[in-house]
Amino acid sequence: MLIVRRRAGEAIVVAGDVEIEVIEITRTRVKLGVRAPREVSVTRREAQTVASENRNAAGLLAACAVDADILGFFGKISGKGAKTAEGTADM
Amino acid sequence: MTLAAQSESECADVIETTHLGKVTWDSGSELYLPSGLPGFEEERRMIPVEVPVHRPLVFLQSVRHSEVCFVSLPVLIVCPDFDLRLTEDDCAALMLDEKETPRIGSDVLCLALLRRSGGTVETNLDAPIIINLHNSRCVQSLSPDAARGYYRLNDEGVWERIC
Repeated sequence: MLIVRRRAGEAIVVAGDVEIEVIEITRTRVKLGVRAPREVSVTRREAQTVASENRNAAGLLAACAVDADILGFFGKISGKGAKTAEGTADM
Repeated sequence: MTLAAQSESECADVIETTHLGKVTWDSGSELYLPSGLPGFEEERRMIPVEVPVHRPLVFLQSVRHSEVCFVSLPVLIVCPDFDLRLTEDDCAALMLDEKETPRIGSDVLCLALLRRSGGTVETNLDAPIIINLHNSRCVQSLSPDAARGYYRLNDEGVWERIC
């Protein structure tokens, strides 16, 4: 791992066109600014795990259509049989 | 905030969804996600949909893609002791005052996204969906030090912490 010491206002450049600047340093945190081409994905590390989980979550309803066990969870949560219904509600 | 409906009404937007059928909503019920969701960064507009027979589930339907729909539950149903911690970035995105602690239910709605796990569902409470009820802004809060953990729905219909 490359270790570089930087102060607020200083930056490093990765692969020629990705610039990471130290915006602010506090006692417990560092605020970073990233300038990168639009096609370069920049995410926090914890967001990568959540992104995978979200893709799985987005497939839950599709899974219900083909897997009776999954469909059954609706009934467990609502206390009623799993079925499709229409309606509206305010909150 | 008003949850959207599957039935039609006048002066409302309509989307024919893959999983919920036709959903209508007005501007007051639409959520704005400044950064989308991890893995779905382009999904900036979502509609919370509640289906009476499936309460307390809340479906988060994308406005942009008819097939994108998440299933969620209020976090307090999964974990009554849920501890709301927002990062500075969360507060900025939600336009909340960092110095004030928002109240779940009156200031913010906190939802747990459900996903498949074997024959049941589980959720990561370290990545709840937070909705500012005063302005409908929405983020998925990723707090590295929250350590709330993962919960799975067991065969008895009870949520149990798995890690």
